[in-house]
Amino acid sequence: MENLISVQNLNVKFRLDGGKIFEAVKGVSFDIPKNSTVALVGESGSGKSVSAMSIIRLLPKEQAIVSPDSQVLFEGRNLLTVPESDMRAIRGGAISVIFQEPMTSLNPVFTCGEQIAEMLRLHTSLTSKQAWARAEELLNEVGIPNPHLRMRSYPHEMSGGQQQRVMIAMAIACEPKLLIADEPTTALDVTIQKQILDLIAALQEKHHMSVLFITHDLAVVGEIANHVVVMQSGEIQEKGVVKDIFERPQHPYTKALLSCRPNVESRPMRLPVIEDFMGEGLKPVHTEQRLRGFKPEDNFILEVKNLSKHFKLKDGLFKTRDVPAVASASFKLAKGKTLGLVGESGSGKTTVGLTLMRLHDATGGEVLFDGVDLLKLSERDFMKYKRRIQIVFQNPYASLNPRFTVGQILIEPMKIHGIGKNDDERVAMAMALLKRVGMPEVSFYKYPHEFSGGQRQRVAIARCLTMKPDVLICDESVSALDVSVQAQVLNLLQDLQDEYQMSYIFISHDLAVVKYISDQVMVMSEGNVIEVANADDIYLNPQQEYTRKLLGSIPKGWHAEKAAA
Amino acid sequence: MLAYVIRRLWQMIPTLAGVMLLIFFLFNWVGGDPALVLSGKITNKEQIENIRKQLGVDQPYYKQLGYFAFEVANGFTCTYRSYVDADGARAKLRAEGKPAPCQAVRSWATNEEVPKILVTRIGPTLTIMLPVLVLETILGVILAIGVAYVRGTLTDRMIMMVCTVAMSISFLVYIIVAQYYFGFKWGMFPVQGWTGNFWKDLTTYAPLPIMLAIFVGLAPALRLYRSFFLDEINHDYVRTARAKGVAEKVVMLKHVLRNAMIPILTNVGIALPGIFVGSFLLETFFSIPGLGREILVAVNRSDFPVIKAATVYLAMITMIINLLVDVMYKVVDPRVTFK
Amino acid sequence: MSAVMTEAASTAAPLHQPSPGLWTLAWRRLKRDRVGMVALVIVVFFLLLMAGSYTGLVAKNWSKEVGVSYANPSFMAGAENLEGSKSAAADPQANVPYVDLSDIDPLAPRYKEWEERTAKIKITETPRAETLPFGGDKWGRDVILKAVKGAETSIFVGLVAAFLATVIGTVLGALSGYLGGRIGDALEWFYNVFTSIPYILLILAFAAVFGSSPALAEYKGVGMVVAILALTGWTGIYRLVRAEYIKHASREYVKAAQAIGASHQRRMFVHILPNVSHVCLVQLSQHVVQFIKAEVILSFLGLGVPVDSVSWGTMLAEAQAELVIGKWWQLAAAGLSMAVLVTAFSMLTDSLRDALDPKIK
Repeated sequence: MENLISVQNLNVKFRLDGGKIFEAVKGVSFDIPKNSTVALVGESGSGKSVSAMSIIRLLPKEQAIVSPDSQVLFEGRNLLTVPESDMRAIRGGAISVIFQEPMTSLNPVFTCGEQIAEMLRLHTSLTSKQAWARAEELLNEVGIPNPHLRMRSYPHEMSGGQQQRVMIAMAIACEPKLLIADEPTTALDVTIQKQILDLIAALQEKHHMSVLFITHDLAVVGEIANHVVVMQSGEIQEKGVVKDIFERPQHPYTKALLSCRPNVESRPMRLPVIEDFMGEGLKPVHTEQRLRGFKPEDNFILEVKNLSKHFKLKDGLFKTRDVPAVASASFKLAKGKTLGLVGESGSGKTTVGLTLMRLHDATGGEVLFDGVDLLKLSERDFMKYKRRIQIVFQNPYASLNPRFTVGQILIEPMKIHGIGKNDDERVAMAMALLKRVGMPEVSFYKYPHEFSGGQRQRVAIARCLTMKPDVLICDESVSALDVSVQAQVLNLLQDLQDEYQMSYIFISHDLAVVKYISDQVMVMSEGNVIEVANADDIYLNPQQEYTRKLLGSIPKGWHAEKAAA
Repeated sequence: MLAYVIRRLWQMIPTLAGVMLLIFFLFNWVGGDPALVLSGKITNKEQIENIRKQLGVDQPYYKQLGYFAFEVANGFTCTYRSYVDADGARAKLRAEGKPAPCQAVRSWATNEEVPKILVTRIGPTLTIMLPVLVLETILGVILAIGVAYVRGTLTDRMIMMVCTVAMSISFLVYIIVAQYYFGFKWGMFPVQGWTGNFWKDLTTYAPLPIMLAIFVGLAPALRLYRSFFLDEINHDYVRTARAKGVAEKVVMLKHVLRNAMIPILTNVGIALPGIFVGSFLLETFFSIPGLGREILVAVNRSDFPVIKAATVYLAMITMIINLLVDVMYKVVDPRVTFK
Repeated sequence: MSAVMTEAASTAAPLHQPSPGLWTLAWRRLKRDRVGMVALVIVVFFLLLMAGSYTGLVAKNWSKEVGVSYANPSFMAGAENLEGSKSAAADPQANVPYVDLSDIDPLAPRYKEWEERTAKIKITETPRAETLPFGGDKWGRDVILKAVKGAETSIFVGLVAAFLATVIGTVLGALSGYLGGRIGDALEWFYNVFTSIPYILLILAFAAVFGSSPALAEYKGVGMVVAILALTGWTGIYRLVRAEYIKHASREYVKAAQAIGASHQRRMFVHILPNVSHVCLVQLSQHVVQFIKAEVILSFLGLGVPVDSVSWGTMLAEAQAELVIGKWWQLAAAGLSMAVLVTAFSMLTDSLRDALDPKIK
């Protein structure tokens, strides 16, 4: 097959603060054949985005150094050395890009029509009028309803999915030969992700262009790519056609990535982690399956009845308007089991978690904890119960106070709740817990900024464990983590549940993860509970239309495609 | 839109009441007895008592506050005492068949009517300050775009350094030196003066103060606007524009400038009420009969009625300007909605 | 791209080192900033000068009239000095006509004795210098010592007023931003009242009242300038700190603190305050500069420090008239020393801001 672009021996370094140099991409070579989709896969820091941005020279000039022997061959020319004026004609003309965050990537003060028309005016000889008309056709082509009106809309007036469609319309406006898609669906809900992926695939075929698809999600790769390039810390570990990568992965890192991520078909006792593949001597892959589900004989520790939460918005001169975030949610949580809460953004799943532990004031309903209604307790009486329900947040970079050492973070709750006789005992307990969550004891004296996302999340879990809670709410706790780290943290959570018999409320938008960790699943949408049932039942036999749509949108990766064929 | 404006006007009432309370607290409470303040000039005890009575300061504080609120409500054009005709002066006039107008608040120092003083002083101030604000903003934006375009280079760093140094020299030094050389020594401009004829003032007496104010204001404006542009350059949409193949100059002049107009407008909005006070230093040095100089003179003479009235007037103007600026946002920033 | 950069930075950071806190890291960044360090040295020099002048170690004799009136700077020793020679020539005794009052004056017999004493003192008095290192003022005082003394006043006012304004702004901003609700609304109202009066006018109004109030007459002087600047200058800090508190109050680490049962006070001051303190520090530094400039103008106008004490502002006021007769050195001494300090302080502020910026890490 003929190559459109050939990247050869790409080396990119970054100047860091304080004169340090960081090698982001180390001698990467790969080809993008004509009329095909190449996926560049890797975890954060793998250099996948940097490699892609080097192709069209969009790296920050002040910091990025591309070594002179690197080559990006496109139509007989090395893109790294063509003059800037020629490069401008190529950007947007022959090669165009869509980015991860459509909201910030579109200029907020220009209409969508203007932004697409600008692209056409730059690279074609169309008049302003013709460009405007063509832009409207493009909006129609990418599936925006009512394109004539939407031409005059500003980006903030559209949903995230629509914004990404506008970005795509802009990118394909000048019939590019290559479309670079940099994590285009990561910021979107799963149902929207499905639509955007389908759209990109359809446009690729229709316009006979190539797509360089950058992602961290192998499941998405299986659906969209012809060729796969797997990157890790600036190097290519494996490349090949998609079938080979999924069916006969050669490199242990690829194997690890493929099996770390939970999928909806199986539920091993433990998730495989990267060390299982990278270390010396392969450890046996866990094939034993875990059985899940609430049983009638379970003891319920928490019972929520008709919980509701309305937010007040100012409206008009003096009025306020009630906006329901959660409307009457009811569920039970069994001791030592996990309830998964899934839904798309705006479904109210996080609000449920925050409201039942009184981080938000509830508008109505009951939260019975061991038979006591938490919502009716005075602040003083509630203090005793605070200890027993704890929460691990989503963003490991924001949930630890950057001015506290890990030690201070762990000691603080013990002091507040009078756990441990004196400071020596508390320090000993904190050290033991650090060890338990897989952190070295020296971390006690360090600050959060010295740790990676996964390690910070372990510290956040240890902070909760200091209070020996009965219920742990995990609010998107693994969503911001890389796949390999995600598996480790999920295993840790499972081990802790087995050991301490804690109950989990596991909130996530990631259906595969929820399926893996939950006994029972509650599906929410726009503040309403759609369905509550045992995890296996919901996934095998969804009762509601919305649940079916949600499950249908899960990227199935390679296995499902193959099974269907 | 209309509902928004009405709500904003409604919200001004408590703020204006606050301004009134603050001024009352300062001048009537902390400032103390005007008779004592004025006692340097008057020694006759009876006369002092008489003044106290006329000013109403022999009354309890809540009544004094009421009088002040009355004056504020009618814009200092009528004192409560004259309104109720406490000394019968108006009744007397009426009996004689003459017109008996309400007495406006008067200056303690000159006995002139305060609203008249302030209205006549606003013209010279605006003659200086409007050109300053307009020219400074335009020059500042143009230069800032240029500097932001060459960001990180030696030129950029040198210009920023010069700005920092220029900002560190006192305004006083600039005025003293410029007046001495341009006016006194080289005779390029009149040292000071004012005629009251708008065109003559604008062409003869205003240029030196205007140029001085722009020269001094430009360095901070340039620094600030440059930082606005640099903030915008780091946004994702700039990367998108580059990815579209837009030339770097067009990125700056179209995409970045349009977005940077939002904080620039905010900044001009903050500076706008200040032009009514004017540069009191310039007005003092160049003998321009403007509002700033008038206020300064009043401060030196402890002429409280003038200061009080000026403060209330300017607070009202400020609030109106703030409202106008907020409405202007809608023009510059499509994301703004009036709620 | 910035996302790529931070990822890169975090993976590159060594994980096993004795732990520097964020302040230590900021200090390390500041130390690498050469401009910032030079500025810091200059600022520290001025602070030491202030302390020295306050304790009398330097410029103790600034008020001594050591030179002739308007003594020339020593580098222009030969220049004509009409005023100086006039004052030197004038012998006060020669001008007083002698009147014999011994008949009616009971003290007359002692006149001779006094005269002798005066003569003795006159002999011990050093002759007035024709030139001084950087010139003299109208009374023949050394303008360098005067500028040092003036620096003491101006820096003191700037530092103390900025500190007070920062404290007021931070406390009110923290309360308003963290608590919100009724208290927040009340503080917002208070802020709106202060900011709806143009800043200059607000200062002048305070100056007018404080200056003429008989009750405050005994506090007149440096303390009053500090009070005026602090009471009018807190609004900008309030705005910023409030915005920071609103931002941080919704951060997950504060929510986590709430979840473990930390009280409101603890969340406000133990958790959030250290995380916004860099904003306060930069604001403090910026306001020192702003207030030094303001003090100079107020003192120039006679609304600041009393006439008998010296500040850069009163020096400039004297210098304005001197310039016309060609005596530029007092203007230069006050203007230059102020410019050097303020430049250094502004650059230090910029460097501090960069070093403390939580985005760069």
